[in-house]
Amino acid sequence: MKYIYSIIKADYLQRTRSYSFLITLAITIYAAYSFVPPPTASYTTLNVVGYKGIYNSAWVGHVSAMMTTIMLSLYGFFLINGGIKKDVDTGIGQIIATTPITNFGYLLSKFLSNFLVLLTISALTFLISIVMFFVRTSGSPFIIGDFILPFVFFAIPALFTVSALAIVAEVFLGRKLILQYILFFFLFGALMANVVGHKSSTVNTFIDTFGVNTMTNSVKDKVNTQYHEHIDAVNLGFTFSKKNRFKTFEWDGISWTGIFIASRLMWICIAFGLVYFSSSFFHRFDFKQAIGKKKKAIAPANISHTNGTFAAGINVSLLPPVVTDYSIFPFVKTELLLLIRKGPKWFWLVNGGLWISMIFVKLDIAYSYLLPILLFLQVTRWSELATKEVTNRLHYFTWSSYKPLQRMLPSQIMAAFIMALALALPVILHSAAAGNVYSVINIINGAAFVVLLAASLGIVSGGKKLFEILFFFITYLITQKMPLTDYLGALPHDSPIGFMSVMLILNVFLGAVSFSVRSWQVRHL
Amino acid sequence: MALEIKNLTKQYNKHKTGLSNYSITIDRGILGLLGPNGAGKSTLMKIIATISKPTTGTLFLDGEDIVKNPDNIRKILGYLPQDFGVYPNLNAYEFLEYIAALKGVGGPDLRERIDMLLDGVNLTADAKRPIGTYSGGMKQRIGIAQALLNDPKVLIFDEPTVGLDPEERVRFRQLISDLANDCIIILSSHIVSDIEAIADEVAIMQNGTLLEKGTQPDIVKLVEGKVFETVLDSQQLNDLKARHLVIDTSRQKDQIRARYITRGYQPEAGSVAVNATLEDAYLFLTHTKA
Repeated sequence: MKYIYSIIKADYLQRTRSYSFLITLAITIYAAYSFVPPPTASYTTLNVVGYKGIYNSAWVGHVSAMMTTIMLSLYGFFLINGGIKKDVDTGIGQIIATTPITNFGYLLSKFLSNFLVLLTISALTFLISIVMFFVRTSGSPFIIGDFILPFVFFAIPALFTVSALAIVAEVFLGRKLILQYILFFFLFGALMANVVGHKSSTVNTFIDTFGVNTMTNSVKDKVNTQYHEHIDAVNLGFTFSKKNRFKTFEWDGISWTGIFIASRLMWICIAFGLVYFSSSFFHRFDFKQAIGKKKKAIAPANISHTNGTFAAGINVSLLPPVVTDYSIFPFVKTELLLLIRKGPKWFWLVNGGLWISMIFVKLDIAYSYLLPILLFLQVTRWSELATKEVTNRLHYFTWSSYKPLQRMLPSQIMAAFIMALALALPVILHSAAAGNVYSVINIINGAAFVVLLAASLGIVSGGKKLFEILFFFITYLITQKMPLTDYLGALPHDSPIGFMSVMLILNVFLGAVSFSVRSWQVRHL
Repeated sequence: MALEIKNLTKQYNKHKTGLSNYSITIDRGILGLLGPNGAGKSTLMKIIATISKPTTGTLFLDGEDIVKNPDNIRKILGYLPQDFGVYPNLNAYEFLEYIAALKGVGGPDLRERIDMLLDGVNLTADAKRPIGTYSGGMKQRIGIAQALLNDPKVLIFDEPTVGLDPEERVRFRQLISDLANDCIIILSSHIVSDIEAIADEVAIMQNGTLLEKGTQPDIVKLVEGKVFETVLDSQQLNDLKARHLVIDTSRQKDQIRARYITRGYQPEAGSVAVNATLEDAYLFLTHTKA
């Protein structure tokens, strides 16, 4: 048991001692703050059509726990995913494989370390929720149980489940990162479908991974009883509305029934069960399985000559004279090549399918759904845009080259922008044909936004995760029609010019951050 | 051509110093950098390669301040870092084209130049294969090829022979010797014999400072007459270690042959004076001047 503890500790420390984790915590603080909006805010995080709860301990505690559970379950998967891959990449895995630790022991430690990372973040939102209670209320009694119990019963089982799903994804899908993301995207959608709109019943309580179905039903029942309504819909998550005049009701929280607690325990057991099940299929760093097709074996016939040494050597005086050429086009070409070659070749079939679909489906569908999804599917291409030279340890060459900042970074951004525009071309042409100039500009702006967001977050955090999490989040919320994340401008906006200007300013800002931080980095290795 | 480094200090944080008031002048030819891990060799090379800024101090190449104007040296720099990587999805040809673009090398003869370099490091047959499938030695060879792409006048090789087999090492040394006529070549290695075989001058570093710099005979002279060999048993070896600097031991049946450098004491009875080597001088300096 002691070695499991040591692996958990090392893994946890390794993950949390990074800039990207600090940035994640900073974003978490802001998110937790936004879970309890002021009365004048243009959005709510939980309302029953036309009604919202008065801020008291129960409301603030439950809503914060509910939002933490759902949001953290969504982006937590991206945050913790890759623990086993890291051990493969660093070679630690091969050392672990030779130790007496069992497959289950190893996966269990990874699973618990995943959980601890998520728990750390949820602990922060828990503390912020208490602070927000005192910020947003006056005179309402503070009941600590209203904060602790929802976090324990909503968040903890859900975080166990997500931690286990990350293990399952890594064991069964190995390095197929994009496939893991897509499957989780759909799985999360399916799990969320269990949360809202389901009537209160024992079965529904048990199939709700997040445990908040009981809460939404309780809130709905309270409104229906107090105001003699027959409302069936609850708006969960960030719901934007110009209408900020709501009728209010006092809600005292939910009663923690035995069935509810049993359902939460069941999800914890399912999580452990998933880890145990996965351990039977774990590759244990067997290279052929762990690396898969990444490193193809070289056929013996091909390597006979490769193992030779320097042939005749290099006679420098015979080399053709050097001609200087400081243009950036060769870079753009190579960067495009790298973008295209990233990931499995078959994935271009998926891209091609979506691209062709965008030509034939209604513009509205192509613009609002297919384009953001197609751009998201390239997430692993965008995310390594400005990080790959460091992760591949090529920055020694690039940063010691002639004017790296003025030549290298612009070519990376330009290549990715070209690719994003090429992917968006059917919608751009469609919009242009329909005479919608604003849409054309918005899509171009949106393509630049994806590229610049990837570049800036990669440069600032030094890793890919932050962008991947945020981009997943943005894409998911776009499919939920949340205006705040509508970077492509597909939803109607009050002022089209205002929206365009905001996006343009945002892009300029992200570009400035990318260049200024990279400017420092190239001289401070 | 001369690289003049004056009072260079690199302070990473309160507790970690990479270089401390380091001064050296490097002329055309091969300078071998020797020093234990953490001596500051890689820090010095990174500063010369312009990817690390010194905290204080100056660095001039033929009178040009390269801390202030790094792009001037970058045009004529060839750099092979210790733990460089590659883009695994590019083949050797595409990779060298990319590095050529980085270095600002183009023109119609670029392809021929790349072909010749690939041929020179025996990678022509594998030039179309993704570099991700290359062995460690092959990657090291592509690293050497990239360093020569722009006809560099300042060449920095940080542990260049790592991953090369003995025959490749010999070839590499020949290559370096050929290049040395009109370049400044700075070469670091843990393998003293590599430095011994090719360096015109040697700089021995420790704890971010320069212990000694000079030609190999000058450095070796420091321990001349102080190096001895003797045969003894294991108990006597401990006594020997207490009095002298033991630099090598080898087992011979029940006895041990020890090579040592005297530290002020008289040599042990029965000892035989032997010719000093660069390795002796290096070990002597790093153990006595620390």
